[in-house]
Amino acid sequence: MASPGGQGGGGGALSTRGGGVGARRMKWALELSMGNTRTRGDRQGGQGDVVYPIGYSEKPVPDTSIQETDKNLVEKRCWDVALGPLKQIPMNLFIMYMSGNTISIFPIMMVCMMAWRPIQALMSMSATFKVLESSSQQWLQGLVYLVGNLLGSALAIYKCQSMGLLPTHSSDWLAFIGPPQRMEIMGGGMVL
Amino acid sequence: MAKLIAFCLKFILLCGVAEAVFEDQVGKFDWKQQYVGKVRFAHYDTQTQSSKKVFAATEQNVFAALNTRTGEPLWRHVDKSGPEGNIDALLFHGQDAVVVVGNGRLLRSWETNVGGLNWEIVLDSGSFQSANFVGQHDSVKYVAVLKKSTVSLHYLSNGHQKWLENLPESETVEYQTVYSNGNSDVYVLGVVPNSHITVVVYSVEDGEIIQQVTVQAPWLSDLQASCAVVSDGILMCADSGTESLYMLDLHMQTYAQMTQVTLQSLGLEMSPGFHPRLVSTQPNSARPPLSEFFLQIGPDHHLLLQLNNREIVNLRDFKPAMLVSFATTGEKTVAAVMSPKNQTACSLNLFSAESGRRLLDTTLIFNLDPSGGKPEELFVQAFLKKDDSVGYKVMVQTEDHTLTFIQQPGRVMWTREEALADVVTMEMVDLPLTGTQAELEGEFGKKADGLFSMVLKRLSSQLILLQAWISHLWKLFYDARKPRSQVKNDVTIENLSRDEFNLQKMMVMVTASGKLFGIDSKTGSILWRHYLDNVPSNAAFQLMVQRTTAHFPHPPQCTLLIKDKDTGLTSLHVFNPIFGKKSHITPPTLPQPILQSVLLPLMDQDYAKVLLLVDDQYKVFAFPSTKNVLQQLQEMASSIFFYLVDSSQGRLSGYRLRTDLSTELIWDVVLPTEVQKIVTVKGKRPNEHVHSQGRVMGDRSVLYKYLNPNLLAVVTESTDTHQERSFVGIMLVDGVTGRIIHEAVQRKAKGPVHVVHSENWVVYEYWSTKSRRNEFSVLELYEGMELYNSTVFSSLDRPHAPQVLQQSYIFPSSISTMEATLTEKGITSRHLLVGLPSGGILSLPKMFLDPRRPEIVTEQSREENLIPYAPELLIRTEWFVNYNQSITRVRGIHTAPSGLESTCLVVAYGLDIYQTRVYPSKQFDVLKDDYDYMLISSVLFALFFATMISKRLAEVKLLNRAWR
Repeated sequence: MASPGGQGGGGGALSTRGGGVGARRMKWALELSMGNTRTRGDRQGGQGDVVYPIGYSEKPVPDTSIQETDKNLVEKRCWDVALGPLKQIPMNLFIMYMSGNTISIFPIMMVCMMAWRPIQALMSMSATFKVLESSSQQWLQGLVYLVGNLLGSALAIYKCQSMGLLPTHSSDWLAFIGPPQRMEIMGGGMVL
Repeated sequence: MAKLIAFCLKFILLCGVAEAVFEDQVGKFDWKQQYVGKVRFAHYDTQTQSSKKVFAATEQNVFAALNTRTGEPLWRHVDKSGPEGNIDALLFHGQDAVVVVGNGRLLRSWETNVGGLNWEIVLDSGSFQSANFVGQHDSVKYVAVLKKSTVSLHYLSNGHQKWLENLPESETVEYQTVYSNGNSDVYVLGVVPNSHITVVVYSVEDGEIIQQVTVQAPWLSDLQASCAVVSDGILMCADSGTESLYMLDLHMQTYAQMTQVTLQSLGLEMSPGFHPRLVSTQPNSARPPLSEFFLQIGPDHHLLLQLNNREIVNLRDFKPAMLVSFATTGEKTVAAVMSPKNQTACSLNLFSAESGRRLLDTTLIFNLDPSGGKPEELFVQAFLKKDDSVGYKVMVQTEDHTLTFIQQPGRVMWTREEALADVVTMEMVDLPLTGTQAELEGEFGKKADGLFSMVLKRLSSQLILLQAWISHLWKLFYDARKPRSQVKNDVTIENLSRDEFNLQKMMVMVTASGKLFGIDSKTGSILWRHYLDNVPSNAAFQLMVQRTTAHFPHPPQCTLLIKDKDTGLTSLHVFNPIFGKKSHITPPTLPQPILQSVLLPLMDQDYAKVLLLVDDQYKVFAFPSTKNVLQQLQEMASSIFFYLVDSSQGRLSGYRLRTDLSTELIWDVVLPTEVQKIVTVKGKRPNEHVHSQGRVMGDRSVLYKYLNPNLLAVVTESTDTHQERSFVGIMLVDGVTGRIIHEAVQRKAKGPVHVVHSENWVVYEYWSTKSRRNEFSVLELYEGMELYNSTVFSSLDRPHAPQVLQQSYIFPSSISTMEATLTEKGITSRHLLVGLPSGGILSLPKMFLDPRRPEIVTEQSREENLIPYAPELLIRTEWFVNYNQSITRVRGIHTAPSGLESTCLVVAYGLDIYQTRVYPSKQFDVLKDDYDYMLISSVLFALFFATMISKRLAEVKLLNRAWR
C-alpha cells in the first residue's frame, strides 16, 4: 500500500536515496508491510518490529464459498428488481385518482413522470438483464419486469386518454383539413 | 389534444390585453374626419372685424360653422337625412341664424357664437316657397315665411307667430317671393305662369291686406328664376324671348303695365338659348336693396347694371366672367368677379358696386386643380383695412364639391374635400414594397442569365438592402435625439411603402360626385384625388381591384365601372390605385348597357384578373381581352357561372358561359312582385378565408360546416306594409344550380333588413312589428358529422341538404349598417361590426349570435364554451370600437385584413370617415405595448451569467474533490 508523500526516514524500505538523510523528504517510498515502524500505536507495543510477509493480512478473510442460502438471497433480490414496476402500479393508480382529469400543470407533470419512467426502464432493459444474469429464472424475471413496465406505460396512456390528451377523435385532426377546392367560378349580383 | 390547445389558449388569454382602448391609445391607431357636404348657403360672421367663422348650410342637411383659419368645423348640427331635414333657407341677422328646415316643417334660430339653439317652432303644413326678414323702423324684428297658400310672420326674438294669413286665389297663383323694404308692408309676389303677376301687400301690424294688384306678364313663368327686387321696391325681370328687362314699381298705388327695356337699347345681345339670371343684394334687411345688380346674359357674360332714376345704366361689362358675387362690409358694397386667366388659373377682382371701377390691388389668383372641377360658386368675405380700403377673402366651391379658402394674393388657407361626405364604395389596396424590396423581388421575376451574374445580382441587391437598413437605423437614431414634436412623418406618394405587418394601406374611395380619392389609412391624409367630370348624378358605381401590388413590376390596377341609371350607358375608368393616375390601358367602349360585372380569379399573362361584363343582350365582354385570356375563358367556360337579380321583376336567373362568350340560361326563380320584392342579395366575400372546416362538439366529435362558396342570401320584403301582414323572407340559393337550400320567413316583421353573409352563417336584422323591437336572427348551415367530399366543392355534386339552425335575439337599438370582421387566414374569431344611429360602432362577438346556444346548460355545452341562450343581446359600452368618436350617419363599414392575423382594419364612412383597427381575439400575435423588455432581457442575462459562473465553480469543486 503506497502512500505518496509519506514522511521520509524510516528503514526497512526501498528508497532512492540513502537513509542517511533523515530530514529529507523522499520522492516516494514503498512499504511492503502494514506494520510500519512509523505507525505508532497499540500495534507497536504488542508486536514490535515484526515484519509480515508480503500479502499477509492481519484480519481474518471471510468465507466466500457459495452457500445455499446466498443463492436464495440472489434470487430474492432479482425478483425484487423484476417486480419493482408492478409494485409501483397501485401507487400510480392512487396518484392518478388523486390528480383528477383536469388539465393543469401538476396533473400534466404527474402524467409525464408516469409515462417517462416505464419508457426509461424499457430503454435500459439490457442493463437490467445484466443485473438479473445471476438469477436462474432470468427470463421469467425479465418477462415480469417487461410486463410491469408495459403495464405502467399503459396506465400512463390510459391516464392521457382520460385526460383527453390523445388525438383519438376526429376533432383532433380538424386543423389538418384544408379548404376544399372550388370547382365552379361564380359571380354576379343585382342588375345595376 | 384539443384540450391541451385550449389550455394553452386560455393561458394566453389570461395574459391578454384589456378590451377597450386605454387613455393613451386614443388616436394612436384611429382617426376621424368630419365633413359637412356640398355647401348650399354660406354666410360670413360679420359681427366683429376679427371674426373667423363662416356658416354653411349644406345639401347633406348640415348647418355648421367653419373656422376660416384652419377650415375645421367649430360646431356642426346634423339634421335628419333626406327631404325631412332639408335646409330650405338660411337668413342671418346679427348673431342669429334663422333656418327653415324640411320643406317648411320647422323654423329654427341658432345662436351662432357657440351654436346653441335659440328657439324652434313647428310651422303649419304646406310646401315652403320663400322666407325673408321683415324690418320696421330700421330694425329687423320679424321673419316672414311664405308657403304655398299661407304667409306667416314670426317674431325674431322668440319665434312666436304674429299672424298667419291665407293667400288669395292660392289655387291658381304660385306665390314665390316675399319682400320687405323696411317700411310697414310685406309684399308677397306670385305668378300665374304665362299670364300675370299678382302682388299682395300685407300690413305688418295685423296682417291685413292693404293692396292686391295683378299685372299682365304673359312671358313670365317663374319669378324666382328670372326676377329680383332691386333698389327701392322695383321688381326687375329678365326675359329671354323678347330679350328685354321688365320693371315694375311695387310702391305705386295702381300698376298699369311693366316697363320694358330691350337689351338692344342698352347695346347688348343675349347668348342664344341662355336663360338670363339676375343677382341683387340687400345688405341690410331693414333697408331696401341696392340699386346695383348683376345680369347674366351668357354662360360667361355678366353685366353690372345700376337702376338710376328708373333708367338702367350699364356700369361695367364682364366678359369673360365665370362667377360674380356681391360682398358688403360696413357701408361699402363690392362686386367680386372671377374670370379665367389661362388654362390652369382664374383671377378674381373686386369692383366698386356703385361705380363699377376696379379697386386697386385686389387681384387674386385662384389656381385650378388639374384633378379637380371648375369653380361653381363664390363666397366672398370683404373687410375694411386700416387705410379704409377693402380687402377680401374668398371661399370657392368647385364642381367636385371642394371648398378652397383663399387669401390675397392667392394663398390657399385650406381646402376641404366635401365630396368625401358622400362615399359610395371603397377598397383597401396594399401599398407597394419599397424600392429596395421591389429590387429583390424583381430579381426572381427576371430570366436567369448565367450562374455568375445571378450571384453578382444577388450580392448587389443584398448590399443595397444592407445600405437601406443602415440608413434606416441612422434615421431612427437621429430622430430619437430630437424632441417628439419635431419628428414629422409626412406621408407623401414618394415615400409610401408597405410596413412590416401590412397595417398601412391605401384606401381608394369613390364618391357620389365622381371624385376618387386615395387616402393613407394610417394618417388619413389624402394622397391623391381625381375628378371624373362626366359622371351623372345618379350613377351606379362598382370598384374592382384587378391587379394588386404583388406583381412587380406590373403596376396595380383598379377598375371603376360607372353606369348611368337613366340612359344605361356604362363606362370604365382604369387607374393605378396607388398614384391615382389613369392607366394607359384603354378600356373597351361599351355600346350596350351593362347589367353586371364578374371578377374572375383567372389572370392574364400580366397578372390582371379578368373582368367579365354582361350586357343587356346577355352577351359577355372580357376585359382585358387578349388572346391568352380568351383561350383561358374557352377552356374554363363550362365552369363559369353568373347570376342576375332583377328586383323590379322579382327574377333571379343563373347563366352559364359558352365558349363563344355567349351565355345560356340554366335556372330561373321568379318571386311574384305583388307579394314581395327582393331587397338585397349577398354572396360571400371572395377574399374570405375559413380556417376551420368544422366545429368541435362537447363529445369531441366534429360538426362540419357547410361552406358553399356559391351560396347567396336573398332577402325579400313584403309589398304589403300593414303591420299584421308584413313579413321579411330570407332565401339561401345556390348561385350555380339555382337550388333553394333554405327558406325562412319572419312574420310580422319589416325592413330595412341588414344582412351579413360569411363562412357558413347569415346574420340579419329587421324590425319586428309584433313586439315593436329590433331583432337579430342568425342562420348557420352544417353538413353534419361527416364531410361529403373534403377535397373539392362542386355545387353540381351535393346530394345531401345541409342542416340549418336558427336562433333570434332582441337588440336594444336600431342599426344603420353591419359588416363582419375579416382576417388574413380566418383563424381569429369573427365579430360583427354594427353601426348604430347614435354614431357608435359596436364590435359584437359572433359567439353571441350562435344558434347552438343552449337553453339548458349541459356538461357538453359547457365543454364547447357555449353561452346559455338569453333573448336579449346587451350593448356593452366597452364593445364600442370608436369610444367617444361618434360617426355621424354611418352608411357603410369596410373591413380589410392586415398582415397580422389578429388585426382587422376597419373604415366606417358616412358623413364622417373613421378608421381604426380591431382585434377580435385580442392581440395574440403581438407583444403588449408595455411589455417589459428590460426586465426580461436582464433576467435572461443574469441567468446566463449565473449559469456560466456556477458551471465554473462546479468544475473547480469537482477538481478539488478529485485531489482530496
